[in-house]
Amino acid sequence: MTSMKPFISLLSVVAALACFLSEPLHTQAQGAKKRIAYVTNGVDPFWDTAAAGVRTAEKEFQVKCDILMPPKGIVDQKRMIENLLAQGVDGIAISPIDAKNQIGLINEACLQAHVITHDSDAPGSKRLCFVGMNNYKAGRAAGKLVKEALPSGGKIMIFVGRMEQLNAQQRRQGVVDELLDRPEQDLEKMKFAPPGRIVSGGPYQILDTRTDNFDYARAKANAEDAMAANPDLNCMVGLFAYNTPKCLEAVKEAGKAGKIKLVGFDEQDAVLQGIIDGHIQGTISQQPYFYGYHSVRILNALSKGDRSVLPKSGFYEVPIVQVRKANAEAFRAELKKLQAAGK
Amino acid sequence: MPHTSPLLQVRGVFKSFPGVKALRNVSLTLGHGEVLAVIGENGAGKSTLMKILGGVQQPDEGEILLDDKPVRIGSVREAASHGIALIHQELNLSDNLDIGANLFLGREPSRFGWINQARIRSDAQTLLNEVGLRHSPSTVVSTLAIGHQQMVEIAKSLSLEARVLIMDEPTSSLSQKETDQLFQLVRKLRDRGVSIVYISHRLGEVKELADRVVVLRDGSNAGELGRSEITREGMVRLMVGRDLSQVYPRTTHSPGPTLLQVQNLRTTAHPRSRVHFAVKEREIVGIAGLVGAGRTEVLRALFGIDPCLEGTITMRGRGLENHTPADAIQAGMALAPEDRKQLGLILEMSVLENLSLASLRRDQHRGFLNRRAETDVCLQTLKQLQVKTPSVDQVVQFLSGGNQQKIVLGKWLAMKPKLILLDEPTRGIDVGAKQEIYRLMEQLASEGLAVLFVSSEMEEIIGMSDRVLVMHEGRITGELTRSNLSEEAIMRLATGEVAA
Amino acid sequence: MKKILGIFTLLMVVCLFTAINNPRFLTPYNFLNTVRWTSLFGILGIGVCFVIITGGIDLSIGSVIGLVGSALAVLLTQKHWSIPSAILAVLVLSAAIGLFHGLLITRLQLQPFVVTLCGLLLYRGLARYITDDQSLGFGADYEGLRLLVVGKVPIPFSSTISLPAPFFVTAAIALIAAIFLNKTIYGRYLQALGRNELAAKYSGINTDRMKMLAYLTCSVLAGIAGILFALDLNSIQPSGLGEFYELYAIAAAVLGGCSLRGGEGSILGVLIGTALLRVLYNAINILNIPTHMEFAIIGAVILAGVITDELVKRFAAKRRAAQAAAAS
Repeated sequence: MTSMKPFISLLSVVAALACFLSEPLHTQAQGAKKRIAYVTNGVDPFWDTAAAGVRTAEKEFQVKCDILMPPKGIVDQKRMIENLLAQGVDGIAISPIDAKNQIGLINEACLQAHVITHDSDAPGSKRLCFVGMNNYKAGRAAGKLVKEALPSGGKIMIFVGRMEQLNAQQRRQGVVDELLDRPEQDLEKMKFAPPGRIVSGGPYQILDTRTDNFDYARAKANAEDAMAANPDLNCMVGLFAYNTPKCLEAVKEAGKAGKIKLVGFDEQDAVLQGIIDGHIQGTISQQPYFYGYHSVRILNALSKGDRSVLPKSGFYEVPIVQVRKANAEAFRAELKKLQAAGK
Repeated sequence: MPHTSPLLQVRGVFKSFPGVKALRNVSLTLGHGEVLAVIGENGAGKSTLMKILGGVQQPDEGEILLDDKPVRIGSVREAASHGIALIHQELNLSDNLDIGANLFLGREPSRFGWINQARIRSDAQTLLNEVGLRHSPSTVVSTLAIGHQQMVEIAKSLSLEARVLIMDEPTSSLSQKETDQLFQLVRKLRDRGVSIVYISHRLGEVKELADRVVVLRDGSNAGELGRSEITREGMVRLMVGRDLSQVYPRTTHSPGPTLLQVQNLRTTAHPRSRVHFAVKEREIVGIAGLVGAGRTEVLRALFGIDPCLEGTITMRGRGLENHTPADAIQAGMALAPEDRKQLGLILEMSVLENLSLASLRRDQHRGFLNRRAETDVCLQTLKQLQVKTPSVDQVVQFLSGGNQQKIVLGKWLAMKPKLILLDEPTRGIDVGAKQEIYRLMEQLASEGLAVLFVSSEMEEIIGMSDRVLVMHEGRITGELTRSNLSEEAIMRLATGEVAA
Repeated sequence: MKKILGIFTLLMVVCLFTAINNPRFLTPYNFLNTVRWTSLFGILGIGVCFVIITGGIDLSIGSVIGLVGSALAVLLTQKHWSIPSAILAVLVLSAAIGLFHGLLITRLQLQPFVVTLCGLLLYRGLARYITDDQSLGFGADYEGLRLLVVGKVPIPFSSTISLPAPFFVTAAIALIAAIFLNKTIYGRYLQALGRNELAAKYSGINTDRMKMLAYLTCSVLAGIAGILFALDLNSIQPSGLGEFYELYAIAAAVLGGCSLRGGEGSILGVLIGTALLRVLYNAINILNIPTHMEFAIIGAVILAGVITDELVKRFAAKRRAAQAAAAS
């Protein structure tokens, strides 16, 4: 037994040496960390939640992540992507601002890195897959919330930052189709009702869709003007995260809180608070946390040569959640936890 | 056979502008190789007539004959094709471009759109030699003195090989030396057979240069003088329609105590020269010299526009150091600058607003405008200076040059200054108004003020000054009193030939 | 006055056209909303009017709004400063910005366009830096302070209509500005230096000091507007708050009779110019004109107005000249 002692001590020395040696080895491994970029379509609290998912995945999968939020639209986004390619990143997740006209840019990026889209897809491009929700389904879910708020029908206006974005178009079409009880459309061959024209059928009438180009003051003024022009307006649907809070401000100041029903998207605190207060009927959360998380997970695997992570359809669907008064408090608590984990 | 018929004839020309009949039945003839002076007070119609000849404006009635054939001069280009070139009163150069580019602006020698720079340079050099301007063709115009810019303008019209050269006040910004050079040129051109129409306020020049004088008054022909009839008195009589027995009303006063003392003054324009002089109360001191001698800079330094590099300025026993114009005004100074339109007046503002600009601070009620004081000051000044204006709300750009200059002076008289600095006080104003300015200078001196004035007009310097300081390249090269004051003495000092 | 008459007529024409096509344009609710937005944007116009009178320009207004709004949100919601000290701090910040512009323009003789263009980029970047580019909301904690913007003040002798609070803020600012420009010697100095800076200097006016004052005023008013915009929206987006608002302000000032050459400007004109812009935006929504048409429509209406104004002026000048000729 005594002969074992030197052996054990030798073993422990070797182990200690291994630990010691593994330090530089480990940093070497860190140096070889895959670099992944997560490009959003703008600046918004929505993306803060997605960023939390990115940061969680960054730790979990041992990758290096850059989160880039273009504040000035399509030109800014293009510049950022070109910079990333110049720096030589391994993978990029892009939320295209204007998919149709960015296919060239995305295909160019595909030649130099693994590229996926998230939040908003770029159909027809060579991106490897799309991580996001089905915006059309989300629109229909929002339409269901409108129906819950106005069971006997009414007049509805839609507010959005830009109509050029595919997700805005799909969401709006989902709302329209649900309210008019039309059959579900296929994402690939979708027909869009032109905005700016009154759409009606059955008890629901969609008066107009107003855009504000991400100017908060315009968003609020649009809601005010909608109330001024249409005294019988029953419901406002905000397609982008900030739209519904701005509508709520305008509705409150007009003294119509609770009278004009509001339905929103995403999970800004002002929206959740509005739901808890009973001023907002509900919101559709697309769980952006998982956008960030799964984008990084998939890109990491791809850059290590593992293509099994790609869904066959090319669409990795993150399920949506309907938030109503009943589940708002719990949803908010969970969201705060996730965001804290991301930081 | 020499030419018997005149080169150019103007017959019965009428021209009116809204509210003004500028020309009424004006006629003149211009012979081959003749220098014809056209004179008249401001507003007499000289400039309008010349603009019609130069193709800038069209007559309402009347005809123009060139070589006995009626011609229509519809544009400057047409005028040029007839061999008529007009040198404008206001400089007409692009001062951000160099001399060569200005000389050939719009007619650059080029090939397939590429400008032939080498040819511009050599042609420009020839022209500059001809006018006697010693600057490289690549000198940017804005860096030239105003007198030299004028010579570029003249060189430009020479290059057009004109048969008729119309010069509108060409010497108004030239020094004596430059004027002499110009006269040589004019004579040279005349001997070559070029006819010259020469417009000037300076009757001395006209007398020296003109073969014949046509006088306009109130838009009509007032008379004509042949070579032997050209006298100052004769011209003035025709211009104003009355005798001006005494142009310079200067009387002698006994100077009082010293008001302004300047020692060791170095200005930014001539940092290596030092200036010393003094001005006494009840004294009119003239500063003579060539353009660029540093006269204006001395006034600017005194008034606190430019910083003084060194030196002491003492006003009424109190020193001024690093002072601003506001401090100079406080000390009792006033400055009527050389460039009336750019520096002296705010052309788009009213007579009232211009007159009160300097005295607003004094008359304020805790920062608020004192409308009553403003109006009182204004009306009093208008009366004192006999300014002709339809109302106090008239915008000053519509006043005549003489009345504008009175506004510049009036602005300062309201401040009751002790020392008035005048920079070229009569530039571009007519004989009648000039005399009013002279009378005012005289009156101010007799009231106990001191006047320090810069002038390029020799007659004015000699006629008005008690004492003359002559400057050359930033230094005062001499001081002349009435006893030894003469044109020759000034020129010797101004050219640096001697130092007194 | 005549310059204002033209723009005022255009405003009335647009109002009339909108009211005829949708009478709901005239409801008190819509009217008061338009008054509120006009008041908020009008503060910017008044500020830039001072700078334009000196012959300068301020392109940094929108970014100053963004920075002030962001700083206010950070100080209140993250640093938990008291309301008075936070407001004082952001006003001092905007005053410092104005002084900074003024110093660069007068002492270093830099061009206002360049200085304030760099400011536009700099302050936007700072706003995003201090907030980590995150949107910040005031939540329900500052309802008292928000009354400054969303509050309504009843008019005496009228039980039905109460005016939005910003109207009174702007009215006070406009009154002070108008008195300053028209009744004080400094207002006269500003106009004089705007028309001919050298002549003003030769008249003993401290032109540098007056220019500094103009840039200071412009930035402080942008700061005040920044506070009000942030409170009105109850949340700020550092990258977007106030973006392009300098162009609205400059357009309103020029429509209202300010000459970009300097020396001319009227506070009442600026307010009417602002009102015209706000009414155009409002009319596009009220008349259900698609939003993507708004720039085309606003540009066309303003251009048509400016052209008509110029033609009317020329016609009047011609007629006056003809009358004068006939009289003489």
